[in-house]
Amino acid sequence: MAEQTFDPIHQFHIDRLVDFHPFGFDASFTNAALFMVIVVLAVSGLMILGTGSRSLVPGRLQSAAEMSYEFVASTVHLSAGHEGMKFFPFIFSLFMFVLFSNLIGLIPYTFTVTSQIVVTFALAIGVMLVVILYGLFRHGLHFLKLFVPSGVTIFLVPFLILIELISFLSRPISLSVRLFANMLAGHITLKVMGGFVAALLGAGAYAVIAPLPLLMVIILTAFEFLVAILQAYVFAILACVYLNDAIHPGH
Amino acid sequence: MAEENNDKDLRERLDSLSAALDAQHKASQEQKADTKSTDEAGRSLGRAINLGFRVLTEFVAAIIVGGLIGWKLDDWCKTSPLFLILFLAAGTAAGFWNVYRIAMPPKGSSGGL
Repeated sequence: MAEQTFDPIHQFHIDRLVDFHPFGFDASFTNAALFMVIVVLAVSGLMILGTGSRSLVPGRLQSAAEMSYEFVASTVHLSAGHEGMKFFPFIFSLFMFVLFSNLIGLIPYTFTVTSQIVVTFALAIGVMLVVILYGLFRHGLHFLKLFVPSGVTIFLVPFLILIELISFLSRPISLSVRLFANMLAGHITLKVMGGFVAALLGAGAYAVIAPLPLLMVIILTAFEFLVAILQAYVFAILACVYLNDAIHPGH
Repeated sequence: MAEENNDKDLRERLDSLSAALDAQHKASQEQKADTKSTDEAGRSLGRAINLGFRVLTEFVAAIIVGGLIGWKLDDWCKTSPLFLILFLAAGTAAGFWNVYRIAMPPKGSSGGL
């Protein structure tokens, strides 16, 4: 154990499983892509198998599928209103993808897709693109009222528009960084704590206190489950709040 | 005589059984309340951490966006560091505005997470 270098970052390393370079682009199938496929298969499997039997008294799978459906449906309804329900499939896919990536990432020896900022930023930019496109499509240029606060003197308006614009542009960054940083920090903390256990066990008399970091690892694992679910929920609810802006611009 | 004895036995047994049932019921209820309170504590801790993290990211993100816009404008217009300073200030203001919006959720949306 002593000679082996201990590297808590190694778990985020991207390996190319299948090399593929069409037209000079690196489109290799990596372990991140593999786990995205696994996540999508898991979500589809849960929903398809869960809704397959359609019994009146739901079994385990069916009640899991129904619970997730009802949970997301009530979230969307609460934060984006009745009109927001047309975005329910979008929000549901987002929520399930993030939730399953977070949860599957907690299984040892797996890869956490959401610990890559590229993935979370792509999701956040996707949400913002939907907000902007739907807002422009639905309200035309009235959508830009979102940036003009009502009830202020005319002299302050340019300054406030600038601030609103920066605030709007910062949304995808804060949305993606929050999810990415939570997953990254949680996994590194777990790994470092686990490394302490191994290092203490190999340190002669200090092996006596090795159970202390082990206890910490157990507590942190439970906490990570909480964070995984909470972050998926927060991602979904903030996407709803932003979509609500697109549906009702001009606050 | 034998029958009376039997009756007494039965009653005793019923009493002890119901007492045991009561005790079990009480214990399970206590346990339920206990797990509920720890659940609640865990959830509120998670919520508090989450809220703090949300404030932090929204604040920092706005400043970063302001700084990036200013830096790029300076790059294009060769006016370094005029726009950088201006947009950093605007970004900071936007950061405070974001935090204010978290603290004061507009009606209709469920904020205060």
